[in-house]
Amino acid sequence: MSKKNRIPMLPQVGKREWVASVNEKKVTESISSDSILLDVLRDQIGMLGVKRGCDMGTCGCCAVLVDGEPRLSCLTLTSEVEGCEITTVEGIADGHHLSPIQETFTTYGGSQCGFCSPGFLIVITALLEENDNPSDSEIKTAIEGNLCRCTGYQPIIESIQAAAEILRSGKSTSNPTSPHSDPHPGFMGDDA
Amino acid sequence: MTDEEEMVGYKQQPGKLPFSRPGSGGKDQFSTLQDDEMIPKSQGGKLSQPWGTHRHDELVTSTSIGNRTPLIDGRYKVTGQAKYGDDIRLSNELIGKILRSPHHFARIKSIDTSAAEALDGVVAIATGVDASNAFGVLPVTKDEHALAISLVRHVGDLVAAVAAEDESTALHALQLIEVEYEVLDSIHDMKDGLEDSENPIHDRGKYHIGEANIQKRVFQEFGEVEKMTENAEASHHSNWTFRGVNHGFTEPHATVANWDPRGRLTVYTPQQVPHYLHRSLADVLEIPMHQINVYRTFVGGGFGGKSDPFPHEMCAAILARKSGRPVRITFDREEVFFVNRGRHPSHIEMNLHADSQGRLCGVETDALIDGGAFASFGHVTTYYNGVLHTAPYEIGAFHYTGARVWTNKPASGAMRGHGAVNSRCAFEVGLDDLSNKLQVDPMTFRLANLLPPLSATITGFRITSTGMRECLEKVRKASDWDERFRKLPLGHGIGVGCGFFISGSGLPIHWDPNKFPHATVHLKIDMDGGVTIHTGAADIGQGSDTVVAQSVAEVLGLPLDMIRVRSQESDTAPVDLGSYSSRVTFMNANAAISAAMKIRQELLDATAVITGADPKKLVLGDRRIYDKRDPAVGVSYLEALHKAQEERGALVASGAYRTPPMGRAHKGAAAGLAPAYSFSAYVAEVKVDVETGQTSVINVWAAHDCGKALNPLAVEGQIIGSCHMGLGQVLSEEMVYGRTGHLLNGNLLDYKIPTVHEMPKVYPIIVESNDPEGPFGAKEAGEGPLLPILPAVCNAVFDAIGVRVNELPITPDRMHRNIEKLCREQGISDPLELETPRLKLSPLQESLANRAEEHEKRDIARRNNDDIEPYHNGALFGFTATMPADEQSDDWKVSVIPSQEYIDNPRLAGSAWKHTERRHRGDDA
Repeated sequence: MSKKNRIPMLPQVGKREWVASVNEKKVTESISSDSILLDVLRDQIGMLGVKRGCDMGTCGCCAVLVDGEPRLSCLTLTSEVEGCEITTVEGIADGHHLSPIQETFTTYGGSQCGFCSPGFLIVITALLEENDNPSDSEIKTAIEGNLCRCTGYQPIIESIQAAAEILRSGKSTSNPTSPHSDPHPGFMGDDA
Repeated sequence: MTDEEEMVGYKQQPGKLPFSRPGSGGKDQFSTLQDDEMIPKSQGGKLSQPWGTHRHDELVTSTSIGNRTPLIDGRYKVTGQAKYGDDIRLSNELIGKILRSPHHFARIKSIDTSAAEALDGVVAIATGVDASNAFGVLPVTKDEHALAISLVRHVGDLVAAVAAEDESTALHALQLIEVEYEVLDSIHDMKDGLEDSENPIHDRGKYHIGEANIQKRVFQEFGEVEKMTENAEASHHSNWTFRGVNHGFTEPHATVANWDPRGRLTVYTPQQVPHYLHRSLADVLEIPMHQINVYRTFVGGGFGGKSDPFPHEMCAAILARKSGRPVRITFDREEVFFVNRGRHPSHIEMNLHADSQGRLCGVETDALIDGGAFASFGHVTTYYNGVLHTAPYEIGAFHYTGARVWTNKPASGAMRGHGAVNSRCAFEVGLDDLSNKLQVDPMTFRLANLLPPLSATITGFRITSTGMRECLEKVRKASDWDERFRKLPLGHGIGVGCGFFISGSGLPIHWDPNKFPHATVHLKIDMDGGVTIHTGAADIGQGSDTVVAQSVAEVLGLPLDMIRVRSQESDTAPVDLGSYSSRVTFMNANAAISAAMKIRQELLDATAVITGADPKKLVLGDRRIYDKRDPAVGVSYLEALHKAQEERGALVASGAYRTPPMGRAHKGAAAGLAPAYSFSAYVAEVKVDVETGQTSVINVWAAHDCGKALNPLAVEGQIIGSCHMGLGQVLSEEMVYGRTGHLLNGNLLDYKIPTVHEMPKVYPIIVESNDPEGPFGAKEAGEGPLLPILPAVCNAVFDAIGVRVNELPITPDRMHRNIEKLCREQGISDPLELETPRLKLSPLQESLANRAEEHEKRDIARRNNDDIEPYHNGALFGFTATMPADEQSDDWKVSVIPSQEYIDNPRLAGSAWKHTERRHRGDDA
């Protein structure tokens, strides 16, 4: 295909190779120097769990962990985070084992429509990593950059407190699958 | 053989929970989950319903209903696996972009797309000529097009659409499209819309009202209108200004359209009402509905903002048809504000009158609402601004004039609390003022004027269950009201507000004469025992999939894990009218219950064949069907299922819900009709900094009557979330239009959605009034809880510093101006010396308290069916309760056309009636 008629909208930028670790997997992408991390994560790497809400750093939906620190990927140039360890919401769980905050987010109603959840989970993961007993004001400060339109934040705060409790006590929450989903009823042969 | 080997195949991964093989016996014969306290008496348990029995009681198996149930799709959302609009990526996709109007109002003289077409990478370009059929969510007001035909009506209106290989090419192509406009005089102030104009924004042909920009006008008069002012002991008068508010959902609109090789169209889109989009696509694309599959993706927040069929969804389909490839269109945040459909900016005049006995003898409302450039749901909104405050109080006279005008702004539409929020705020603040003037406690004033259960409002709405009294009493107690109201120091106050909202609308928008149901649910159970629910109800995060699964689980006595919901595709889902007007739980769960009852009966019959027991004595519980008097007689669910399937394969059943016939016969009687209504009462505690005008809300006690909380977790989520959204409107959110008429804050930085720091502590209180027609007694909880927060905050502000606000949001600058004005009026220089309002009770208080007590007894008797006489609004004013007041007295008016006397001297919105519709002017012309 001929591309000779193409007129650049932006100053011409060359593409180059970019290497980083995304969710503990090494990725190599061809990026331009002006490319935004959010676009690369979504459109090139395919991490569609990272959400685009406002494109100007106000809603927090696009937050990712860069070397453990939460960062808004819509305001981050891709080349800035070359060689870094990037974690998106897809990278929080360990296989099918949810992290405590993911589990409590569902059980305490921290997620309704769920669009803001990836951003919240990222900043909360960073918070709980540092502090497994956050005070109310520490929790509020951690999530102040994230907008949620459904929950009114209160269930999110409760989820965080519950997740912190799990982290402190080391006890996991409910079983992933309820024993009562066995269609054969009432014959529990031995104590589970 | 070891135990472990034996169990292979019955183990569940990944939880690795040990299960015994069926039929192996066991020590724990029956469910350990069963709890007598949760099972109704009809099933041998102890559960007593809050108010009498319910027809669904005998279906209760204590499995699911009333449990705090996490959303069944919750884990998709927390792992990033939920696919929203923009997450649908089809191979070989094109990116669509839309060229938008830079003018408020202009005629398109020509569009030249040749340069854009020549650009490499541009695959298809669409303009208005590609789809000239009009569409709109309401069939009576189809006034939108996929792309502008000849007029652009607001900045951001769609002019052309481009599909290209990538986003930057598409954006570049937009710049190469040359459009020649003839700019027309635009209208920005809604008051101008009431006047005749040279170029009305729309032309409605013979139904056009004058030559003005009036889209809809309403006049309603009920009751003893003549007497209301002469009987008035106290009157309230206020003029309110409400700004436009946007839904502020976090997910911007995004859609993907694809024509498959068989020539069928699939549109992937986050829609609240896929069915209306389905109809509109068929209209616009001129193909039959069966050739379209509307696929609802996960919806990243709706709140009414994703409930219209949208032009960009048409554009994606048109571009995909032209290019033969999938097209994805994703909005940026500014485009979301261009589509808008948020709450109407409004001017509301509220006049209330109370007589010497503390009865509400007159309500006069005049609402002018700014519809922006298109009709959207506006027809309904215009009614809702009036008719939705005819309850929960008994009123002596009701006068409402409303008008919705077109202006050259992004269209307003439906938003959580549709049409009722602004006028409810004005109304409840008026009640606070009235009780202040009568020197009575506003709680008592409200409690002494409530309509009872099973009654009819002044406009003929049928109220089945009401928990209004319990709501008020619970927040009164929880907030320590009696000790604090009018007793707190300057700058600190509490206030009360109430709400009343429809739980589903009585008539479908597309009024089909062949009586289609509002909601249909299909169930399928194959030999694996899992239940597949097919429903068209759109889960927009409120948990409708969860609640329909819960309802089926409850009836069949199955755990939720065995239920799977398929609600995404119109190909597989039966028609459901969508997630609007708080109808989903009420209608869809009712449909699900009736489908599940059919399956239940088949299972009982099969069990009767196996065991020889009387099917009437069989009950279901926790995957077992057994004789309720001799539980040892019974079979497992799977055995019964397999027996039932012997001759016919999978069990399938369809259930549907349609509203009962309701309402009166006057024009507009159907607006606001609902099979049930929700009620709520909130107390808000605020602090106002008298020096800076900063208002902050500290606590909210929020009681909401949702009939029966099927999922208390979701109900509380809705209550707290509603508080958040309402607080935004009352404290910080507004769409600001500048001097030039442009939207100044079309982004989330300048449009101030409350963050976690602005949120007060909300104490959700669930009141259950057990609606006779609701599924297991349930009513809505999604929109009603938003209404009371606005007036509660406004009334608390008055309690704090004595300022009656009449303009929202209460930003610090507005508040500061109010405080300055109050200081000037009182001749004080330092606002810290302001006097905080105090209440000296008048003798009326005692008689109101007595009346409230009597009414409470009356209400209990009606709820327990001890009193089953009809009750019509008007009984409090001396009319016989058993028949409508207009049949008893000629003074009791029922009128929907204004008198000449009124037209000669109208209020603001009422002046819309000065114009004559074109069709009535034929003789003069």
